[in-house]
Amino acid sequence: MPHLLRTFRFWIGVILGLAAALLYGWVLQPVRATDTSLVSLRQDYRADYVLMVAEAYGGEGELSLAVQRLAALGPETPSQYVEAAIAYASDQAFAVEDIERLTRLARDLQSIPPTPAASSP
Amino acid sequence: MNRGPWPLLIGLLLGVVGGLTYAWAIDPVEFVGSSPAALHSDVQADYLTLIASAYAATGDLPRAQVRLGLFPGPDAAETLGALAQARLASGRPASEAQALALLAGDLGVRPSPPPGLTPRIATVVPIASPTITRTPSPRPSPTVTLTPGAPFQVDRRELECDATLRVPRIRLLVLDAAGQGVPRIEVLVLWDTGQDHFYTGLKPELGNGYGDFTMSEGVTYTVRLAESGALVTGVETEPCVDESGGVYPGSWWLVFVQPPQP
Repeated sequence: MPHLLRTFRFWIGVILGLAAALLYGWVLQPVRATDTSLVSLRQDYRADYVLMVAEAYGGEGELSLAVQRLAALGPETPSQYVEAAIAYASDQAFAVEDIERLTRLARDLQSIPPTPAASSP
Repeated sequence: MNRGPWPLLIGLLLGVVGGLTYAWAIDPVEFVGSSPAALHSDVQADYLTLIASAYAATGDLPRAQVRLGLFPGPDAAETLGALAQARLASGRPASEAQALALLAGDLGVRPSPPPGLTPRIATVVPIASPTITRTPSPRPSPTVTLTPGAPFQVDRRELECDATLRVPRIRLLVLDAAGQGVPRIEVLVLWDTGQDHFYTGLKPELGNGYGDFTMSEGVTYTVRLAESGALVTGVETEPCVDESGGVYPGSWWLVFVQPPQP
């Protein structure tokens, strides 16, 4: 019986410790969202980021620079990010000129041949 | 044999260690919906630069302000200005720094164009400019010291009484022998308790060789081009009087010129 009692106490301690640690690590002191990358941007921010790339591209006319900026968003191809942004912009009723900017960028991205440099982050 | 609370404590300890390992390392909270403010500082710099580049292309200041509002900070214009300097110093394309400087200028106080230069901005909002009266009281002139063989020489130094400049500035222009503005010239500003530097060319609408520095009242500055021995000492704010009799601190206008090659 004493052995069973000790085992019981041990596992009660483990369970209590786990519960307290998970509460602390997930709720009270979770890993902080600092020093994140563009990959973790929320969908609306990501769409606005792509729109900014399209706006800047409209003024600068440098497609390579636009590709470089889009590649920072993550592992997908720049075209995929722009298409996702167009879909989001359409859903959220962005201004027509904004959608046109995105569409123009998407069209110009289609004109470049797929290369490893263009699709890598 | 009764071991007291030890089994419980040992279990508790193992549970805490295991739980924290799981919560922080094995399966930490995932951030898939973070905001730009949570980005790494380097990425934030790129993000801010993109905001400025987009603004330079569209001229949509309210939109740029909304985007900048995502980043906490007391003064976005100061942040962008400092970022422009840093990007230029690190060898990034001048267009980036110019876009940042343009947005910084449009968010803050845009200085009036230097004498003799026409702004590139096509649309100018008309403002009522007060009649400026230069302070009649005598003042000490800054001392100019030239190093023999310096690539640039001090050509002009003038007190500017311009009430539209809300804060006093050291405004300077660096010109080559052909009279063209020279960008990317590092300018050192030194005073009793510190020093700073800035680069020309970040406000191209005011001239490629233009740069400015905000002065504090009561501080005496020395201005020197980093690659030149030419310097101006004893630069400090001087009182100016506007048409209503109000006194405000004036700015200094300095021109450095590269002498013609013999």
